[in-house]
Amino acid sequence: MAMKEKPSDPKYVFFGGKGGTGKTTCAGSFAVQMAKRGRKTLIISTDPAHSLSDAYGAAIGPEIVPVSENLWAVEVDAELEAKKYVKQIQDQMLDLVSAAIVEEIKKQLEIAYLSPGAEEGAIFDKFIEIMHLMGKPYDLMVFDTAPTGHTLRLLTLPEVLGVWIQHLIDRHEKARNLMKASVKYDDILRKRLEDDPIIRVLTKRKEKFEFARGILTDSEACEFVFVLNAEKLPILETERAIELLEKFSIPVGGLVVNKVIPPEAGEYFQKRRVIQEGYLRDIQQRFSEYRIVQLPLLDMDIQGMSQINMVSDLMGELIH
Amino acid sequence: MSDKDKKHFLDTFREWFGAFSYGVFIDKRMSVVRKEAYDEYDNLMLLLFSDFLGIPNPISYYMLELLPYLAEELEPWERRIQNRKFIVAEKAAQYDFD
Repeated sequence: MAMKEKPSDPKYVFFGGKGGTGKTTCAGSFAVQMAKRGRKTLIISTDPAHSLSDAYGAAIGPEIVPVSENLWAVEVDAELEAKKYVKQIQDQMLDLVSAAIVEEIKKQLEIAYLSPGAEEGAIFDKFIEIMHLMGKPYDLMVFDTAPTGHTLRLLTLPEVLGVWIQHLIDRHEKARNLMKASVKYDDILRKRLEDDPIIRVLTKRKEKFEFARGILTDSEACEFVFVLNAEKLPILETERAIELLEKFSIPVGGLVVNKVIPPEAGEYFQKRRVIQEGYLRDIQQRFSEYRIVQLPLLDMDIQGMSQINMVSDLMGELIH
Repeated sequence: MSDKDKKHFLDTFREWFGAFSYGVFIDKRMSVVRKEAYDEYDNLMLLLFSDFLGIPNPISYYMLELLPYLAEELEPWERRIQNRKFIVAEKAAQYDFD
């Protein structure tokens, strides 16, 4: 099987895939495995329907908590982050403009806070905040992401918005130059134009996007792992998703085929198993350039640390 | 006329002439440029806060952080942009064509 040169030592590993395929279990046990090997691992769940707490059988919240030796975990709460963000803007506004205007703007803040992009925006900001913690003390970050569509939007955000924001900066420069020209003979207005908070804010935002983009497209540091089941729709979805990620040059590392029916499942599953074998061959063919790990369907739920531990050895094959 | 008087006369003349030519040649032209600049700023505001007018904006969440600096201009901008009825007439007025 032809394999892609694997990154020697990825620092950021994203787990994604269709809903219900077992992303959290895979990400969780991968993180446990890496922690066992001595990597200081932080696992981050961004799925709005958090299940990391259930998988680990431990209380995990919006703040980073230690789970076991070398392993930390956090569940990002988009709503909470958005609230914090809006609150911060309101406070900042009180310093700069009168309270009456703040009252007036409040309504607009509420609208924007409920707008479709708000949740992704909030998660993305938290991502960047967490990524800045790399090396202090964590040296591996495992992201358990939301179902595919959601995540792809999130990961392609910096590229799309980066272009948009550059356009805004250019636009603002143009308006500013015109304004400058028009106040050439007016000293007071000219002084007022010297300080430009708008360009400052826009540039800072652009730098944040560039930081994230730099990490996401760095094939040495980052890799994306897809979790799928040996069924028709997950295969198709994974193929589409990989195409999109490659278009945005986000490196794809491997695939985990979860819930593979083992031969010892018996008579009852025999027919199902034959169908699955067809799909497994299909997966090997379609995704021959990636590392593929198979996880068997177990006769129980994987819940709690002890069971995660059992699966984690298998996940270790994903990275050497 | 003493030298002092001459100097005083010239200074006064220069001041008056400066004010006159500013009014005749510069102020009018500059106000055209300034109007253009204001329009450009209005367009920029539209790109930043279009969702306030009901036009979806992919980046609206992040643009909230500009609000503290632009809050005071937001309300007049909304009024202006919603009252724009006839852009050709507006431009014509700007260039004295009306």
